[in-house]
Parts: sequence; C-alpha cells; structure tokens
Amino acid sequence: MEQEGAERSTTIVASTSEGSSLDPIARVRKLLFRQMLVGIKDGRFFLGNFHCIDKQGNILLQDAVEYRSIRRSSPSPTEQRCLGIILIPASCRTSCHVDCSIEEQLSLIQLKE
Amino acid sequence: MQSVREEESASIDQEPRSCGDNSVWAHVSPLLSAACSDLNEGELIHGDNFNLFAAMSALEIMDPKMDSGMVSTFYSIDEAIESGFAPVPISSDRTVDVQCIIDIMDHLLACEATWHMGHSLAQTVFSCIYVLRPERTSSHALLHSFCRVIRATCRALVSVVSDARTNEEEDLFTMTYGLPFNGDEDGKGLLLLNAVEETICRQLRACKATSSKRRVFEELEPLQTNPQLEEGFCKALLCRIRFRKHFLHALNCMRRPQGRGLELARKHIAYCIAELESVLSSVEFLSLETVENGKNEMEESTTGSGRHPIGFDPNLNKRLSAPTPPRAIKLLSWKKVGTSKFSAIDYYVKLLHNLDQICAFKLEPDLDAVLQFVVQFQKSRPDLVARAHLQLLLVQDGKLYGRDTFLTICARSLALDVTKNHGLHLNEYILQLNQLMINLLKILCANTPWQRRKLGKILNDWSIFNVQMGITVGHMMQQVTTPRTPKNGDKSALILNHIYGWLEEQIHWVALRFLVLGFDLKLYSPSEYCMVYWYMYIILWKLAEKAHFRVLIIVHTEERKAKKKEDCSRDMAREDRISLWVLLLKCQTSLAQGLTVMIAALRNEGMCLKSQGPFNTENEKFVQHFGLLQKASLPKYDAYESFSESTCHARLDYLPVYECFRDAQKMAKEIKVGYANDPDKLAEVVGLEQVAEHNIIAVNLLCQDRCLKVSFEFIHHPHFATAVLQVKWLWSQMGLVSQEPALFATSIKENILSGKKDATIDDVVEAAKASNAHTFISQLPNVYE
Repeated sequence: MEQEGAERSTTIVASTSEGSSLDPIARVRKLLFRQMLVGIKDGRFFLGNFHCIDKQGNILLQDAVEYRSIRRSSPSPTEQRCLGIILIPASCRTSCHVDCSIEEQLSLIQLKE
Repeated sequence: MQSVREEESASIDQEPRSCGDNSVWAHVSPLLSAACSDLNEGELIHGDNFNLFAAMSALEIMDPKMDSGMVSTFYSIDEAIESGFAPVPISSDRTVDVQCIIDIMDHLLACEATWHMGHSLAQTVFSCIYVLRPERTSSHALLHSFCRVIRATCRALVSVVSDARTNEEEDLFTMTYGLPFNGDEDGKGLLLLNAVEETICRQLRACKATSSKRRVFEELEPLQTNPQLEEGFCKALLCRIRFRKHFLHALNCMRRPQGRGLELARKHIAYCIAELESVLSSVEFLSLETVENGKNEMEESTTGSGRHPIGFDPNLNKRLSAPTPPRAIKLLSWKKVGTSKFSAIDYYVKLLHNLDQICAFKLEPDLDAVLQFVVQFQKSRPDLVARAHLQLLLVQDGKLYGRDTFLTICARSLALDVTKNHGLHLNEYILQLNQLMINLLKILCANTPWQRRKLGKILNDWSIFNVQMGITVGHMMQQVTTPRTPKNGDKSALILNHIYGWLEEQIHWVALRFLVLGFDLKLYSPSEYCMVYWYMYIILWKLAEKAHFRVLIIVHTEERKAKKKEDCSRDMAREDRISLWVLLLKCQTSLAQGLTVMIAALRNEGMCLKSQGPFNTENEKFVQHFGLLQKASLPKYDAYESFSESTCHARLDYLPVYECFRDAQKMAKEIKVGYANDPDKLAEVVGLEQVAEHNIIAVNLLCQDRCLKVSFEFIHHPHFATAVLQVKWLWSQMGLVSQEPALFATSIKENILSGKKDATIDDVVEAAKASNAHTFISQLPNVYE
C-alpha cells in the first residue's frame, strides 16, 4: 500500500512511506499548514490552517472560520464567521480532522495501530 | 477505522467548504494525543512562520471574555422567540400586560440614554426583541407603535450624528452593523402611536366619567381589567407615549434646513420636559405593587416600577460586531435612587435643556455672537446628541445656518458692504477662509478634549493661510496706494485687507480658546500657572488690540455711511457690543498680567512652589504646553526667552501688580453696566471683578507678612485664579498643625478676603483668634466649610 502511494505522489511519499518509521511528533509536524476541522463541545466547528499544538493538546488555527447551526432544533441553516487566529483548548475539543488524500489517510490509519 | 468519521461526516458534508475530489477528512485525534504525550513540557509543534506574539493574540475559544460565539441563553433571536422569551401579547391578563409594557417603555428609555452616553446600539436599545422584530407585534397596537417610534428615533439620531461626524470621538454611537435598521415601516409609527394615544385618552375619560355619563362610553373597552387601577395605568401610558411622540417631533423639526423648525421644536421640547415630569410622578403609582410585595429594591432598577422588564437580552447581538464579545455594560438606572450618580431621567433632562438652548438661539448672523454662543453652550458639557444638533444647525451646505456665506459674515463683522459683486466670492483666499471657518465651527462643537487637540492643530493651518494672505494683500495694497482713479478692483483689495486684519483677530481668538480649555481640562499644574497666565496675557493683549482696530474700522465706515444716510442706529448697537467685548478682553488682559506678575513675584521671593520639577525643566514644560502656539508663530518672537526675562525681576512691592488688578476691577465695573441684561455675561464679569478684588487684598497682606502661605484656586472664575492665603505661623502657635489646615485656612480666607477690603494683619489675627476659639469649641475641622 505504502509503495503504491509513493509512486503516485512524491509529496505524499514524504509523509507516508517514512511515516511508519517516524515518531508521532514528526508525523504531526507533517500536518502543519493543512486545513484542519475541529469540533468543540457546544456543537460548533472551526475550519482553519493548523498552526501549532502544545503538550496539553491546545491547538492554534490560522484564518479560522466558525460554523454553527443557527437553531438547535433544525440543523439545516448554518451561520459562519471569520475569526482569524484562534486557540482551541484541548478540554473543549471533541473531534479533529485533517484534509488529506485517501492514500494518506490509509497510511495514517495504519500508523495508529 | 472508517467508522470514526461517521458522525462528523454528516455535518461536514454540509459545510460550504468541503475538500477536493481526491481528499478526505482524516481523523487525527489519536495521532495528536500520541504526539502530545511524546512532547516535552513547554515544547510546541509549529512551523517556521510561527510567531509567539501573534500566537498570543489568538482568540481563545470557549473563554467567555474572548469568544463571542459561546452560546449564552439563546443561539439566535428566532430561538429566543420560539422559546417564548418575548411573547405577544406579553400576558393574557390585560392588567399584567399593561404593566409589562410600561416596564418595557421605561427600560427602553434607560437603554437609549445608555446608548447616547457612548455604548453600542446592539447592547442597548436593540437588546429588545420587540424592537428587533417589530413585525411580530403588529397585532398589538400599543407595543407595535411604540417600538416603531423608538426605531424611528434611533434612526433620526444616528443620521444626525453621522452627518455631523461628531461621532469620531464616540464611534460606537453610529455602529449599526447587522442590526435590522432599515424598516421603512417605522415612518408610520407616529401615526399609529397617535391613534393609540387617542384611544387611551378616551379610556381615561371613560373611567373618570360619572355613572350617568358612563353610558356614552359603554362600547369602549377599558385598557385593562382592574377598574381601580385604570386611571393610573392610563396616565402612566399617556405620558410615556406623549414623551416619545414629542421627542421625535422635536428631532424632526430641528433637522429642518436653515433652522426653520426651531420654534416648533422648542414647543415640542417644552412638552417633552413636562411629560418627563409626569413620567417621574407616575412612579409612585407603578411601584405601589412592588413595595407591597416587599421587593423594594429600587436601587439599580431600570424601570419605574422596579420590576425586571420582559423581552430583553443584551447578549442577543453579541456576535454581530466583532469576534470578541463586547464588554458587559451597565445600563443607567432609570431614576436617581441612593448611590447611583446619574440616571436616565437626569440624562434626558440635561439633553432636553441643551436642545432647548440650541432652539432658543436667535440665529444671529454675527460671527462674534455665534462663537460666544457656542462657548457658552459648551460650558454645561453637553453630550454627543446635543452637540451634533448644534453643529448641523451652524454649518449647512458650507454656509452658516445654510444661509449666509462666510464672506458675508466676516464682511458684516467689519461693517463692509459686499453686496456689490467684486468677484470676491471666487477669490481663492475667500474660498479657503470659508473652509477654515467651517472647520473651526465644527471643532468648537466637539467635546472638550477633542476640541482642544483639534484647535491646536488648526492653528497651524490658520497661520500658514495668514502668512500667504499677508503677502498677497501687501502686494495689492501697494498698488492701491499709488494714486489712481478708484476702480472696482481697488475696493475688493481694501476689503481683502480688512479681512486680513480680521483673520489675525480670529487666530488669536482660537489660541485663547486653546489656552482656556487647558483650565477646563485641568492640564496645568499650579507651578505652571505663571507661564500660562503670561501666555494668556500676550494673546489677550493682541486680541484686544485687533478687536479694537476692528471697532475703529466699523466706526470709520459708519461715519461715511452716516453722511449719506441718517439711520444707522442698528449698527451702532453692534458697534457698542464689540467695544464692550474689547473692554472685557482688556479687563481679562489686566487680570492675566496681574496674575503673571504676582505669581512670578511670589516665586522669586520663594513664597510659592518653584516650577522646577525633578523631570522637566521649565523650558521643556513651556514647549510642551505652548509648542503648537509657537509653531503658529503666536507670538512671533522667542516666547520662552521673553517670558523668563519679563518675570525674573518681578517683586511683590513692585507697582504693576496693584495697577493691573485695579485696572481690571475698574473695567469690570464699567462692563457690568453694559451687560446688565445678559445674565451669563454678567455672572462672568462679576467673577472677574471678584478675582481682581480678592487678589488685591492678597497682595496687600503678602506685602506685610511674608510668612503667609499662598495657593491658587478657581473659586470665583473658572480660568482666573484667586490667591488663597494660609497663616503658617499661626498654626505653629496653636499647635494644631496636622489637622486639615486647608479647611481651617479657608475660613480665615473667607474672613479676611470677603469681609474687609483694606484688611490689615491685625484683622487677620483677630479673625484667626475668633475662629481659633471656635475651633476649640467645635473640635471639628469641617464646621468651617
């Protein structure tokens, strides 16, 4: 699987093929500047560029946009606001996703085991 | 592992920004937590562009002080409405309904006053759901029309303030971003409110009517169900509705061009003040129930009844303005109770009086009168709304009151005739002058600190303009003086020459205002009074000279006219007014000079604080205070050198000290006669006279006894200080040194200074003994003040 991925795209090679041998810190470092989607406890989502993370798991996003559904009852209309640089404390983070290709994702999954 | 995405994917797919074809959202939480556990304490994972300072400015999500997106009570207005936060009608019980509406009205008044005092509309008036969504209340005529009128009032005020641009200082006032501010329906509010008012009037009459007449009103439904309370509620509603109505009318009238609506506006304002009083007196009735229920917590209440109003949430709009939530604000309390210093009602009383002051202004086409009116108006420190109205009245379409061009104005103040077309209105200097005058008037309508700053800045523009004009006019006058037959161009050159002189007078006036505002803002420390008065003396002297020159010009032209025609009585009156003003300036000049010499003498003899502080030299302080004036070459020579030269030899027994104060006193007496029918002016002149009088006595005493301690205070006039004496040696004799010497000394000062003009030191001792004995009896230092 990893070899195939490497053949397709050189950039992914860097993050995936060597990924297995790298420690988690180096792998997270490869995620920097990617689009990251963070969900928090009260139901809001923040989409922004992954900028920084510390030992406690607090995340800094750059050029973040906040998404929320306007009504608790009906989920349809969403409201969005631009926030700039934000800090999301680890305590209120419920989910965290990074934008990547399918191959990358597979490698990430493998590496988690 | 794919299942990890199951929950989120549903919502993510709806996001406007989903990822490209080949990419997916990969779940990285486990990876992150693994990385975090591997990280050392204090270590960060970050890119090359990471900047700790920038990172520190990040908004912290879920921090109540930084994250305005945090859910407080409601997600949105709609949700608040759905959850029954602001029902229509408010209660099915009509008595309760009326009660609640009165609370809402009162709370809106508090909100509006708070808004005027510099908070955002979103946190104040528009925290009311009924105001935010007026279409919901259309079935409820009373509430509906009231909210519409509130919105119309807000819009009128925002438009006045943003037109006047006085909001530069208080920029939250006009911020309406994201608020539903464009209801064209609001115009109908007044009509609806009138209809409602009429109905309530009839209901009031019905409940007052005797039983025999009652039949007439039978078909009329009462306002609410409890007949005992009917009259009280009707009255409480009526005065609130009428206040709103007249207030909006007054605002609309004041906006009419060229001040045509001022008289009408004045009537509406008078109504407003009267209705406000009945609003206040209705409190007794409204709070009756609250008192009975034992909840007499009127302290910080925003309503007349003391209850909490329904349908308000200041957090509703908090996501509108900025990513960070606005600071929580405290609304003004409705009525002054206990500790609260300033209430919404107080604010409205002040606002209405200020507006009334504007409406009472006679729109005199005389620039001196206009400037003096503005200065007088600013003395009560009017708030933004009143100042914006004044500015819009003064400057309309680049003309004074939208009526007279500034060329006409300044020609009139010189009694020149510019009706014949000399092509002057196209002269570039005149155009520039026009602009300068408009700016000056606008600045004079700003709040005091802003005004002073701006005046300092425009002085430079004025002086540059003055120099340029001086060169051109000098040229023109040279050509004119060569003997030739008089031509039209010569006439305009003459006029320009006069205007040039007049311009210098205005510059000095601006400079004087700049200096005087420093006193209002308490920018001068007592050790600097000497240089301030010296500078004021210089400016005042010049100003008086220029003004006197103008009187001569007027007299000259009047005489020429008088040869042609006999009637010039009206202009003579103006001439008198100006010469009176010149006299007032001369009086102030003498006072300033006297104070300068007196303070300098005290300093030289070591009886007063030296102006040398540990940080700045005197010269540096001088530049700090008067740098802007010196830049505008006022005066034209090196001011500091001249100041230190003229003050370094001052002695107390030096004759000019007396002379100056005596002159001032004499002139004040003369002026008092002239201003007999102008109470404001008269009060000022009396103040000046008192300052002169008391300072003469103080100098007298100081010459005889050098041990007296001197301080300067503004007891009689806001800008001219009175010397206050304290008897140092007396304290040492009595052995009461540490007990509030200032308080005790004021009593002595009062004894000495207000009682006898020719007091000797024996009188002081006597006075002191009298108070001394008295002190022992009372033992309380504050008995004396």
